[in-house]
Amino acid sequence: MNSLDFSVLLQAWPYLWSGLLFSLALTAAAFVIGMMLGTCFALVQHFEVPVVSQIVRSYIALVRSIPLILVLFWFFFLVPIVLGHLSGNGRPVPIGATWTAFITFGLFEAAYYSEIIRVGLRAVNKGQFEACQALALSTFDTYRCVILPQVIRVASPIILSQTIILFQDTSLVYVLSLTDLLGAASKLAQLNGRLVEMYLVVAVVYLAISSAASQCVASLRRRYALGGAHR
Amino acid sequence: MRQEGAVNPSNHSSAIVVVENLVKRFGGFTALNDVHLTVAKGEKIVLCGPSGSGKSTLIRCINHIEKHDGGRIVVDGVELVNRMADINSVRCEVGMVFQSFNLFPHLSVVENCMLAPMKVRGLSRPEAHERAMGLLRKVRIHGQADKYPAQLSGGQQQRVAIARALCMQPKIMLFDEPTSALDPEMVKEVLDTMVQLAGEGMTMVCVTHEIGFAREVADRVVFMDQGSIVEEGEPASFFSSPRTERAKGFLNQIIH
Amino acid sequence: MFGVLFEQTADGQRYIDWLLAGLGWTLALAFFGWWIAFAVGVIVGIGRTVQNRLVTALARLYVEIFRNIPVLVQMFLWYFVLPEILPSRLGDAIKQIPPPWGSFFPALVCLGLYTAARIAEQVRAGIEALPKGQTEAANALGLSPLLTYRHVIVPQALRLIVPSLTSEVMGIYKNTSVALTIGLMELTAQARQISEATFQTFTAFGAATLIYLVLALIAYQSMMLIDKAVRIPGSTPAKDAVEPILADDVQSGTALPHGMEVVK
Repeated sequence: MNSLDFSVLLQAWPYLWSGLLFSLALTAAAFVIGMMLGTCFALVQHFEVPVVSQIVRSYIALVRSIPLILVLFWFFFLVPIVLGHLSGNGRPVPIGATWTAFITFGLFEAAYYSEIIRVGLRAVNKGQFEACQALALSTFDTYRCVILPQVIRVASPIILSQTIILFQDTSLVYVLSLTDLLGAASKLAQLNGRLVEMYLVVAVVYLAISSAASQCVASLRRRYALGGAHR
Repeated sequence: MRQEGAVNPSNHSSAIVVVENLVKRFGGFTALNDVHLTVAKGEKIVLCGPSGSGKSTLIRCINHIEKHDGGRIVVDGVELVNRMADINSVRCEVGMVFQSFNLFPHLSVVENCMLAPMKVRGLSRPEAHERAMGLLRKVRIHGQADKYPAQLSGGQQQRVAIARALCMQPKIMLFDEPTSALDPEMVKEVLDTMVQLAGEGMTMVCVTHEIGFAREVADRVVFMDQGSIVEEGEPASFFSSPRTERAKGFLNQIIH
Repeated sequence: MFGVLFEQTADGQRYIDWLLAGLGWTLALAFFGWWIAFAVGVIVGIGRTVQNRLVTALARLYVEIFRNIPVLVQMFLWYFVLPEILPSRLGDAIKQIPPPWGSFFPALVCLGLYTAARIAEQVRAGIEALPKGQTEAANALGLSPLLTYRHVIVPQALRLIVPSLTSEVMGIYKNTSVALTIGLMELTAQARQISEATFQTFTAFGAATLIYLVLALIAYQSMMLIDKAVRIPGSTPAKDAVEPILADDVQSGTALPHGMEVVK
C-alpha cells in the first residue's frame, strides 16, 4: 500500500478546475436544451398532435430504454452524418466530441424532463382549465401564463433532482475521451501515476456538489410544501 | 390497590385502570392537565367532550400509544413507564379500536385477527384461526373471513377491528370514536356489537358522542374539556341535568 | 442489414456470438446486482425510519454517499482505488483475479451498492407514506417494533413501491454498460467492438439497441405482473411511477401529529 500524497493536487488543481467547469457547462447546456425540448415534447403529447406525438412517444421510450453510453456512441456516430444531410452536400460534418456531447445530453435529457412535465400537466386541476375558459384566455395564454407555471412549480423538486442526476451523468463523457472533471483526473493520473488520489478527489468533489444541491432541493421542497398548504 | 386521588371511586371493588395526575403535552399545548380516572373491573365508561378536550389522548395514553409527561398510569397492577416489556404486556391486556379502523390492508380479515395472537401470544396457526373465526362469528362477519379489508364496508371493517382486538382476549377495551368515520347507516351495526360486548361484562372505555349508546350501557359518563375532567356522573342525570355550564353548552351543541 | 453479424470473425466465431456473450454479462450483472441492491436497499431504507438515532444517521450517510457520487466514479473507486488502499497483500490478491471476473466483481459490487441507495430512498418513502394508524394498531395489539416492521410495515411499503422499483430495475440494467469503462465486455462494449472491426456501425449499435429494447420491455412487463400479483384485493391499482412522487409533493406539509386533536 503506497502512502497517499495529496500534494500532487496543488499542481493538478488548475486542470481539474477546467474539467469541472466543462462538466458544469455541459450540465447547464443540457438543462436548457432538455427543458425547452422536453416541454415541447410534453405539450405535443398533451395535445395529442397526430403523427408527431407518436414519433415523440417512440423517441422517449427508446431513449429511456437504452444506456446513456450507447446513446452517446449513437450520437457520436450519427450527428455528423445527419448534419451532413441537413447541410445539403451529404458529406459528414465533423463537429467534434464536445459539440456532440452537448447535443446528445440535451436530446437525451429532453426525454426525461418531458416525462416529468407530462405527468405534471396531467396533475393540474381541471378547474384551472375551466377558469381560463371562463376568462376567455386563448389556449396559448392559458398554457403560458397559467398551466405551465403551475406545472413547473409543482414539478420543480423533481426537475432539480433530475438535474443533479444529469450533472453526475455528464461524467460518462469519459467514454468520448473528453476532459470533464473525471476525464481531467484520469488524464492526470496517467501522467503522474497518482491514480488513487485523483479519483478520490473527484469522488469528493462530486459528493460535495451533489449533496449540497440535494440539500437545497430538499429545503426548497419543504418551503414549497409549507407554502402549498394555504395556496 | 391504592385508590387515593381517584375522583369519585366507583362502587365496584377492584380497579383495573388507575390514572393519577396525568399530564400530556404536545409542544407548548397541554392536552391533558392533571387528570384522575379510575376504571373498575366490568365498568363501562363513556368519555365525551368537545374536540381538543383530550379524551382521545387520554385513552391513547392508557395504551401508551402516546407517552405521558407526568403522573402515573397503572393498568391491571402494572405501572406504565418506558419499559418495553411492561408496555407490551399491558397492551396485550388492553384492546383498542380506532376511529379509522386501522386494519392491515395487506392481510385478509381472518389474518388480521390471527397476526397478534400468533406472534405475541404464541398461539399455533390452527388455534389462532379457531379463535379468530369464533370472534368473527360473534361480530357476525365470519362469512367475509377471507376477504380483504378494502372489500368491506366501513361498518364491517370496524366490526373486524373489534374482533381483532378481542382475539387478544383483553381485560379491557378502549374505543376511540369508533363510529365517527362511519356513514350514518352503518353506525348501528357497530354500536350493536359494542352493546353486546358490554352485556357480556367487558370493561370498556369509549370515546363517543352516541348518547343513545351512553344511556344504554354506560355506568358513568365522564365529560372532559380543555384537558381536564369537568364533570362525571350517571348517564341519566348527566344528560338530563348537567351540573356545569360547559357540559350544558356541549350537550346543547351535539343534540342540535 | 444484420447480415454482417453472421460473418466470421478473426477468432473463428461470428459477430453475433460476441453480442450474445456481451448480453450474458449484461444480464448477469443486472440480475445479481439487483438482488444485492434490493437486500441492502431494504435494510438501509428501514434503517432510515427506525427510532434509533445512530442507525438513522448511518443509513442516511450511506444514501448520501452512494447517491451523490456518479456511478462511473464509483466504478473506478471499486476497480482502481480499492486494491490500492487495502493492505497490499489483499490488494494484490484482488488484482490477481483473472480477466472477466476481475472486472465483473467490482462492477457487481458497484452497481449493487449504488442502486441500493436509490432503492433505500424508495423504501423509506414507502414506509413514510403508510398511515400512522398502522403502527399504532400494531402497537395496540402488543406487536414489538420488530414484528411490526416484519408483518405490517414492510409488506405494505414494498407493495406500494413496486411501480417505482420498475425504474430502478431499468436503471440497473442500463447502468451495466458503465462496466465497459473497467474493461468488462458487456453488450455495449461488444457493439462498439463489432463496429470497430467491421465499420458497420449502424448494424452493430442497432442490434445492441434492439436487444436493450427487448430487455426493457421484459423488465417492464415482469414488474407489471409482479405489481398485479402482489396487489391487495379491493385496493385501487397504483398509478405510474412518477405520479405518487408528485402527489406526495403536493400533499406533504399539511399533516398534524396524528395524536393531536386540532383545536378549533
